[in-house]
Order: sequence, then C-alpha cells, then structure tokens
Amino acid sequence: MTPTNVPSWAGVAASLLLVAAAVAVVWRYKLGLTGELVLAAARAGVQLIAVGALLAVLFNRTGLPGALGWVTLVVLIAGQVAGRRGADLPRARAIATAGVALGTAPTLATLIIPGVIPTSSRVVIPVGGMIVAGAMQATGLTLRRLREDAHTAREAIEARLSLGLSARAAFAPHQRSALRTALLPAIDSTKVVGLISLPGAMTGLILAGVDPLTAIRYQIVVMYMLLAATALAALTTARLAEHTLFDHAHRLVPLTTGLET
Amino acid sequence: MNCQPKGFVLDAVAVRRGPARLLDRVSTHLPPGWCTAVVGPSGAGKSTLLRLLNRLEEPTTGRVLLDGIPVTDLDVLALRRRVGLVGQRPVLLTDRVAEDIRVGRPHLSKPHAVELLARVGLPPEFAGRATSGLSGGEAQRVCLARALALEPDVLLLDEPTSALDASNTALIADLAREHANTGGTVILASHDSTTVRETADWVLVLDHGRLVATGRPDEVDYLRARS
Repeated sequence: MTPTNVPSWAGVAASLLLVAAAVAVVWRYKLGLTGELVLAAARAGVQLIAVGALLAVLFNRTGLPGALGWVTLVVLIAGQVAGRRGADLPRARAIATAGVALGTAPTLATLIIPGVIPTSSRVVIPVGGMIVAGAMQATGLTLRRLREDAHTAREAIEARLSLGLSARAAFAPHQRSALRTALLPAIDSTKVVGLISLPGAMTGLILAGVDPLTAIRYQIVVMYMLLAATALAALTTARLAEHTLFDHAHRLVPLTTGLET
Repeated sequence: MNCQPKGFVLDAVAVRRGPARLLDRVSTHLPPGWCTAVVGPSGAGKSTLLRLLNRLEEPTTGRVLLDGIPVTDLDVLALRRRVGLVGQRPVLLTDRVAEDIRVGRPHLSKPHAVELLARVGLPPEFAGRATSGLSGGEAQRVCLARALALEPDVLLLDEPTSALDASNTALIADLAREHANTGGTVILASHDSTTVRETADWVLVLDHGRLVATGRPDEVDYLRARS
C-alpha cells in the first residue's frame, strides 16, 4: 500500500506542537498534570514505535503460524487483565484466559477457514487483536458481575439451594444477568455502528485510501465477529465460574475476601 | 439394621473457618416427632448447626447422620428437599408471592399455594401480591410457605419469629408444634425464650460453638435466666 495518506516522520514531529498546546493548558491552569501528560505522550510514542517495529518483523518474516503465535500471546495477556475483574473468585485468571481463548479461537477460525479473511499475518494479527479485545471486555464484565453476585446474592443463592435446586439452577438467574451485562455493550455498539462514530477498522482503511464502500465490508465482518467473540467468551466464563463457585455438594464456596469495589 | 436412631445424629461435629471455631465437637440426637430448640447468644453457632443438617455447611471433623446414614452418602438435592430450611432473614426470589412459593416445586397448583398461605396466616389474595411490597413479617411467612411446599420431613427454622408480632409468632409456633406432633422433626434456632418454652420438647444450649447444656425447657438455666 502506498503511504500517500500517512504523515511523514517530520509530520509526526510537528504534531508534538499539539502536545505542547495541551501542556500549555495544564500548566496555565495549574492542574498538576504536566509531568503525567508529558510522560503519557512519550510513552505512547515509544510503545507505538516498538509495536510498529515488532509488527513489521512479524508481517515480513512470519506467516500464519507467527500470527497465531502472536494472537496466543495476546490472549494470555488479556486473560490476566480480565482475570483481575474477578480477583477473589477461585481461579479467576485461569477462567478469564479460557474465556478469552474460547471467545477468540472459534471466531478467528470461522473467518480464516472459509477464507473470509486472508491468512497473511498483516490481516490475522490486527483482526485477532480486535477479537481478543472484544472477548476480554466480555470476560471482564462477566467475571465482575458474577463476583458481585457471589457476594451480594449469597443469601438468595443459598435459599434456592435449600429448596433442593441444583447449583446450576440456583445460579441461573445470576448467570443470565451477567451474560446480559456482558453482551449489551456489544449489541449496542453494533446497533449504532457508523451513526455515532466511524469504527476503528473502517477508519483505518479509509485513512489508508480504501474506498468507503470497500471499507464497510470489513467493518460488517468485524462487528459480526465481535458479537460472536463476546457471546462465546461470556458464556465460557460464566460456565467455568459456576464450576469453581460451587462444590460437589452444590454449595456456594466461601470467597476469600470481601467485596472491595 | 433397625438399631440406628431415627432422625439426625451429630457425632463430635466441629466446624472451623480459619482460626474460628463455629462449632466445637458437638454430639447430639435430634429425634423425629420432637421440636428441638437451639438457643444461645449471637455467634454461638446456632445457624451453623442448622446449615449442617441440610449440607449448606460441611463439618471440618465429625459426622452428621440422618436415620443412621451419613448425610454425605445421601443425594444432597434429595436431602435438601426433605429438610426445609427457613433462613434468618427472609429472602424472596421472584416478583410474585405465588411464583415464590413454587420455586422449589414448579407445578404446585393454585389451591395448594393458597392452602400453604393459609397455614402461615396469609389470606388467599396474597398469592397475586408483588413480593417487593411485603413487610418483613409477611416475607418471612412466604419463605416458610415456600419451604412447606416441598412437604419436608424436617423443618429447620432459624429465628422464624424475629420479624413477627405476637399473634403471628403464636401461629408459627403452632405450625412447628403440629409438624412435630405429626411425626416430623423441627429444629428451631431462636432468641425468643417464650416461644422456645411454649414450643420445644428439648433444648440445646450453645455457647462459643460448644454444646453447654441440654434438657427440657423447664430444666434449662439459660431459659430460666430469661423468664
């Protein structure tokens, strides 16, 4: 792709003036954020240069196996991040990693195997990244909600268990509400896509000079894959959490710490 | 073997959570046809004892037997349907009273639901009421009706009268007595010494997780001190 629409390094340097403008505002109004703002701008530059260099190597030197290796690494990181949302649930990070993985793998496979997207790492890595991000968000929301319910709805869950309901039946209303919580943001953003903001994949393609009618095809695939990734990740997370929250005697296990957030 | 005692037997049961001893080597027999009251100060282990009987709690050491069989050998869901627990705080699970009564028994008929409401002193029109508008005492009675819907052999009542006025307290006490008189088992954890004296056949006094006294209601110092 010819980088005609892309800023030169001189242009990037010139955009530092915009950072200077933000610093001026922060400094003028004594917001106490000057150091943090400069650090954030510097970090963004360094991180993106590092990622750009790494991606350049991956794009040029590796094919599908390298891309899948990269996606696997991202899944592991996303699992750790989403796992924090369920901190005191038993095995939260393992559950979150499984949730992100099982949200990502079938979705990516459905795109790659029938040839909806090409197998080059230039495509698989960014598309995989978007799927992982969607799955991570759904996993985090599901865990957070289940954790809250395991604390606040303990009496209701135990009341159902006391009536002879199985752990699954006693937990079902809470699982349903966690799944709704996880799925609604993806459904809402699918509803309004293109109306409120131009989504990332489409914006990127348009900036790179692709015809908008071509760009939307990508975006439609992206939105649909995010719905699948969200639903699969949330369901996997909720099911696995149920297994660790109850023991063999259909008892809600005691959680290690109180609810902090 | 018919030599095994009927009802619940606790055999040197201890429940520890971390360093805390919720129950400390408690041994006792809770026979059918009796209303056994469990009394003692807050935190003595009354609720823990009740929760052991329907396996919401597991002993750290010791055994719980029902009709001579360790409860761990029984199907836990069937056990919980035989052993109805009404918790200390009423927790309603659905939007409507009739639905709530059906949580454990989804195919319960309307007349049967109304009959259960009558047993706990609530009029038939309560079946259609929203659970959100109930008072504490009404909610407590709906929870009791919900447990009775399963026709349990054993009734575990954890402070069942704490939110009730005198006439409803008497109604629940009568209901507990009737259950015991017809061969059922009632285990009643209560702070209310009047109800215990009028309802219970046998009293267990717990203190700091230990069983410190047992006897008929008129024999137990703990109750005499509160008369």
